[in-house]
Amino acid sequence: MTTWTLDEWFVVALARTIRDREVVFHGFASPCAQVAMHVAKRTHAPGSLLIEGATYATDPVPAFIPPTSNDLALHRDAVYRMRFEEFFDAACRGAVDRMFLSGGQIDAHGNTNVTAIGGLPQPKIKLGGGGGGCNISATIGTLTVWTSRHRSGRTLVPEVDFLTDIGHRTPEGDRAELGYPGHGPEWLVTELGVFDFDDGHARLRALFPDVQLSDVEAATGFDLRVELVDGLLTPPTEAELEALRAVDPLGVRRAEFGPDELKREFS
Amino acid sequence: MTTFHLGADKRTTLDEAAALVLSGSMVALGGGLCARLPMALVRAVIRHGRHDLHLVGSAHSIDADLLIAAGAVAVCEESYVGFEQDLGLAPAYRRAAESGTIRVRESCCVTVLAQLRAAEMGVPFLPVRGIKGTDMVALHPEYRRLTCPFTGDELVVVPPLAPDVALLHAPIGDAAGNLHLDQPYVLDERFAHASRGVVATVDRLVDTAEVVAAGVTVPGHVVAAVVEAPFGAHPASCYPGYGYDRPHLAGYVAAATAGGDRLAGYLERYVYAGEDPYRAEIDSDRLTSWSTSDAEWQELFR
Repeated sequence: MTTWTLDEWFVVALARTIRDREVVFHGFASPCAQVAMHVAKRTHAPGSLLIEGATYATDPVPAFIPPTSNDLALHRDAVYRMRFEEFFDAACRGAVDRMFLSGGQIDAHGNTNVTAIGGLPQPKIKLGGGGGGCNISATIGTLTVWTSRHRSGRTLVPEVDFLTDIGHRTPEGDRAELGYPGHGPEWLVTELGVFDFDDGHARLRALFPDVQLSDVEAATGFDLRVELVDGLLTPPTEAELEALRAVDPLGVRRAEFGPDELKREFS
Repeated sequence: MTTFHLGADKRTTLDEAAALVLSGSMVALGGGLCARLPMALVRAVIRHGRHDLHLVGSAHSIDADLLIAAGAVAVCEESYVGFEQDLGLAPAYRRAAESGTIRVRESCCVTVLAQLRAAEMGVPFLPVRGIKGTDMVALHPEYRRLTCPFTGDELVVVPPLAPDVALLHAPIGDAAGNLHLDQPYVLDERFAHASRGVVATVDRLVDTAEVVAAGVTVPGHVVAAVVEAPFGAHPASCYPGYGYDRPHLAGYVAAATAGGDRLAGYLERYVYAGEDPYRAEIDSDRLTSWSTSDAEWQELFR
């Protein structure tokens, strides 16, 4: 009997947000998204163009996923490596279809805070920072937003303390009013379930089978819209699990989850 | 902004090279995340007691954090400082930001790139498409808005960023400062041309012919000084030479998180003691073994 763990299913759920023939990018410090891109490429999206998050290698077949995103292991068999400028220019002019984004805080519009809990100039917790997300979240075709810390109750919030990356709507206006060509977040995947966006507002569409709606209600700080559908979080296939385990033998993806989440097993 | 640096021999000592970084100056750190960081220079700058530095750049880790831990930084304009999922938040950066001992002017990679390009081109600003609607605006009173005369779009425009000095590390370079880097170059090329001068370390000083054969990434005419510093990026990686020193980085993060005597102990042992004792402590066999097999390579990260 096939069994799999929550971290594996989560990665597969991220992978399935990638459509075939998309140009897709993950940021650094995002091992789940990084593994997901390789799973998609090796299963349902063979025609996609993968751009590694900090090496800008295109379509590599990594030796393995290391715990740091700027490592030679992520270049293997890449025919080409974009320059930093080349990638960001492509992202700014709208040539990149999808990016994965996470945050210490995420609001209902998919705005993310990766800068500081408590905001600046007086942060309660200074987070690492946003890399290039601030600009390119405005221009990349669509975004898959994710968090592996939904259950904490501190991540999905009514309002982000600092708006680093753009979702569907900011206090200054929506994407059209801001003149942003990208379409904004399409999915929000958490360790509890999957949201899409309805008129720019997150809407819960599916739960992992060991999660109750009350768990999500208790953990979600923004106004929870729920419209569950069947068939969205179907179990990983053998091919997806095989691809995932092959590309991430060190289990770097697991670093994104708390110890209790890693105990979740399915069959 | 660069005044070209002419001359066939710019070799100097680590101590003299680091002395070119003056207190209060704007410093660009080369490399990215935990690869090809100019760590030997960072340690030497700290030994000189430099202070009030203004760091600019993209995504960094122990280079920025160590400078902050040593009290050398007043303003941090990097787009990210941290140790990714592996070792987490940057302890000294976090503490300094939360206690207000540094000014955080976090930026975005794209904005920094536009500002470096403006400096390279000698133009007073360049536009960026994003930023509007984000809280990044409030951190940067120097940004302005402009209505595009062609499209009518309202865009954020950003001024040039011309670092006083760019600290770069390369696997090889020659006496004139011609440097070969392996990709990703990150912002090293832009820093080299936008700043007033490059101060470089190389793992190996070689003949010009060898740098030319490998490919000159940064030309000697933008380099003010070059120093041979084996393992000069350590504990960051500098492939093809050596990989990421995870135990050392974990030890630093633990010491910087604890602060106080433990951090002081790290600084004493790994910074103030000098570069020769530092280098003697590196487990070079382990860090250079990555190329023997994928299994050995993976061992670096366990």
